[in-house]
Amino acid sequence: MFDIFGISGTGVSLSQTWMDAVSDNIANINTVKRTSESAFQARYVEAAPVDSTGANPSGVAVTGVALGSANGLVVSDPNNPLADANGMVRRPDIDLGDQMTQLMMAQRGYQANLAVVQRATDAYTAALQLGKA
Amino acid sequence: MTDGLIIPAIKVALDGLQQRQRVIADNVANINTPGFQARTLDFENALSSAVSTDPRASIDTLSSTITSGFTGDPSRQDGNNVSLEKETLNGTETNLRFSMALRAIDGRFATMRDVLKGS
Repeated sequence: MFDIFGISGTGVSLSQTWMDAVSDNIANINTVKRTSESAFQARYVEAAPVDSTGANPSGVAVTGVALGSANGLVVSDPNNPLADANGMVRRPDIDLGDQMTQLMMAQRGYQANLAVVQRATDAYTAALQLGKA
Repeated sequence: MTDGLIIPAIKVALDGLQQRQRVIADNVANINTPGFQARTLDFENALSSAVSTDPRASIDTLSSTITSGFTGDPSRQDGNNVSLEKETLNGTETNLRFSMALRAIDGRFATMRDVLKGS
């Protein structure tokens, strides 16, 4: 009966996971590593519908996390204490513009799902008034 | 429509509208899922033909036969075709229809209460 809340809940929680991943990526956008180590890898949340047949609509689920490039970008930064003999360090290959776009998409998804919750609440509240003269 | 059909018919409408809200919630939950195809649900045609042709036999089992289909709208680049505007409009309309059906069934109950009170 109240499963609209469950369906929208999966959407809200996916958006939340997505925003967590994006904020972690942005927080580490300047994480520099030695060239002997692998770069910080950006996380990309993967999602799929819970029920792909449509017989029993049940929302969305996180199916996994894809990692960005471990090679990152090798750049010259001779003054960095982590620089190797050639003055090179390894930076993560994260595009801030791409991350901000993802953040906005996740945020809008979050809001859209909460709007559905609000609508369902209105409908259920009206149904609970049935029979009250 | 005979008198005994009004409440079963409204019940089917309430079931169908709620099922449609679930489909809308599912579409919105998958608004960013690549490759997801939006679904839509129509029960009004089945209900109106059930009410007008062979009422009693088919109307009670009608709720379980309602199924959703694809909207077939053009997809975005990621293969997803959920339109938030469309889903919001559909959701609002479904809610209003739900309230209308509730008011109709409430009216029947009010009549019954009046009859029982004998006023």
